[in-house]
Amino acid sequence: MMMDLLQALGSGILVGMVYALLGLGVVIVFRASEAFNFAVGEFLVVGAFLFLVFNSALRLPILVALPLALLAAGAVGGLIERLTIKPLLGRNPISMTIVTLGLANVLRSLVQLVFGAHTYPFELRLPDIKLEIGDLLFLSEALWAAMLSLATFGLVILFLFRTRWGVAIRATSESQAKALAFGIDAGFILFLVWMVSAVCIAISGIVISNFGSLSYVTGIVGLRAIPVVLIGGMDSIGGALVGGIVVGVCEALVGAYIEPRGLIGFKEVAPYILLLIVLIFRPYGLFGTVRIERV
Amino acid sequence: MRNRTLVRWTLTAILCLTTGGLASAKDIKVLSQFPMSGPVGSLPEFGMGFIDATKYINEELKGVNGKPITFFLEDFRYDPTVEVANFNRYAAEHAKDEFLMATGYITGGLKPLIEKVNVEEKIPWLDGSYSTEIFGPEGGPSKYPYYYSLGATYADQIKVLMKWVKENHKGKERARVGFVYSPTAWGRDGTPEGIAYAKKIGLDVVAEIEYPYTATDATTQATTLRKAKAQYILFHGFSGAANYTALFFKTVRKYLPEATILGTHYTTGPLPMQIFPDEFNGYVGAACRPLMDGVPRAETPMTNKMVKMAHDFAKKNRPDDYKPGGKIRDMGLYADGFTYALILHEALVRADKAGALNRAGIKKALDTMVWDFNGLFDGKTFSYKSHTIPMVRIFKAESKTVEVDGKRVPKGILHPLTEWIDTDTVKW
Repeated sequence: MMMDLLQALGSGILVGMVYALLGLGVVIVFRASEAFNFAVGEFLVVGAFLFLVFNSALRLPILVALPLALLAAGAVGGLIERLTIKPLLGRNPISMTIVTLGLANVLRSLVQLVFGAHTYPFELRLPDIKLEIGDLLFLSEALWAAMLSLATFGLVILFLFRTRWGVAIRATSESQAKALAFGIDAGFILFLVWMVSAVCIAISGIVISNFGSLSYVTGIVGLRAIPVVLIGGMDSIGGALVGGIVVGVCEALVGAYIEPRGLIGFKEVAPYILLLIVLIFRPYGLFGTVRIERV
Repeated sequence: MRNRTLVRWTLTAILCLTTGGLASAKDIKVLSQFPMSGPVGSLPEFGMGFIDATKYINEELKGVNGKPITFFLEDFRYDPTVEVANFNRYAAEHAKDEFLMATGYITGGLKPLIEKVNVEEKIPWLDGSYSTEIFGPEGGPSKYPYYYSLGATYADQIKVLMKWVKENHKGKERARVGFVYSPTAWGRDGTPEGIAYAKKIGLDVVAEIEYPYTATDATTQATTLRKAKAQYILFHGFSGAANYTALFFKTVRKYLPEATILGTHYTTGPLPMQIFPDEFNGYVGAACRPLMDGVPRAETPMTNKMVKMAHDFAKKNRPDDYKPGGKIRDMGLYADGFTYALILHEALVRADKAGALNRAGIKKALDTMVWDFNGLFDGKTFSYKSHTIPMVRIFKAESKTVEVDGKRVPKGILHPLTEWIDTDTVKW
């Protein structure tokens, strides 16, 4: 009984780390522009396909293919920002959010156009580090996914809090107008943020595809970012981490204890129910900034 | 004068015969629906095979004893609503003595049309559905006299696999079987009958798990099966959902490396071998056709006449699609479509030969059909009296990833483990 609980908790935490990185990709964009990126699932698929191109099609070793894929994903993120988000700078953030809805459709269609609707084999060839303690078993893929996600999460935090660009990003997050007044190029910062976000989401896509396979349908995982960031708080980086783990654990526990009692599919719904409960008590999420708007 | 009169009478007779003949000749119209886009748009091969076969039927087999068939081909986008609407439209637009047959693809389209097809129109309808509900003991010819399936029901496929487990399980204790299926109409179809049969023949059913199409990971399912100490896992109801099949196999193989994963027709094919060859190795599956590809395609055994014919046909009609990397990734699906059209043609020809090329005559031809399907089942014949082609064979996958010129590529084949089994004659 205890082993089952530990297995569920452990598995939930591992996959939760990936959700957290996905959430981080959304949070940093929201902090910089107050826009929610609904194309997160499509960014995830694009990132994973880029890795597939470098690793499988061009036969580059993983140590070369992975950085190249992430650079390319960042470039795609930046390009998309230049083409679709920059023209909306200074406008209502709702416009940007709506643009991302359209962007999701465009990217999904482009992926199908280029790669087709087929499912591709996906393999991230890393050393086997599976952890087996008695009846507990944590697969190598899940452990690598969690470690890579956590490492990326840490690097992004370092970037945001220990570099000049990071300071500029945080300043822009506070107020685009004030940042501009201080001589910060808010346009460039937004470009940078979209690049970093695209890289985070690409890593999530790569490690998630490594669990199974890759096709344009994989993008459905992007929906997990919604409860993650809303539970953690839309503008909270730490909240993304907590939200990711909460959603991962919630899914694992429901899968282990509730679904077998006949509530099939409840695992998919449970994070949203949890989200509703959180929002009732904390409308800005667990760690979101409480905003008082005077009208 | 006499000669002129003779010529005039001869010409008149010819004209009368010709025009009279034209006036009485009815078109042979058939509606065929299959998905070329939509949720299973990634699997257009079935439609390709069917389309190519229609050309073959009219151009090389000369239609129905010389009379061409007008095929109405519809991409129903895997949407039952579209399938139903298309049929209703064609039924309204075309005369009953010309619109002679229809073919469909999914159970979702069959159910809303039960009354229309079987009572109002009384039109023979061939379908790709293996639904136990429609074609099993609770349905079948007595309830749905105009519905015909192209394969054994899912229940029969699962029962054949359970029987195989019973006969081949090594060990003194009873074999422990876990059932994993999708929470869909086709995932649930056949599963209760399969579970009941497994229990009846003395297998231990240790887990029943519904595994949804939206899963991000399959750890919960794998750990449940491990806890239940499942030795055999029946995986059913994931046709077209390669993503979730890959996720399940890759996870379960690591949690239960010794377990044998079993599956039904749509999992028994080349796609899993192309996507996760190492995890697919050792898979044991039931199939209603011997048409699955080897990976790479050159590995496909061509000993079966129909398999060779389907490959030759695809190569000839769609050389670019047939090549590696082309649109035909699963020759099994192409050949399914191809043979689907051939059985339709066979029924029309038999009805015509019997002098009854009408809906009732075609139904009679199907009901009394005993056919070897041009050698499809290695010489065995089948009878259509149960309105299913009741032939099932068990195959085992032998597949792995290999390095070719520095690139990791899949390689594998499905070997037959049994002879063709006529499920209509098995005493369950």
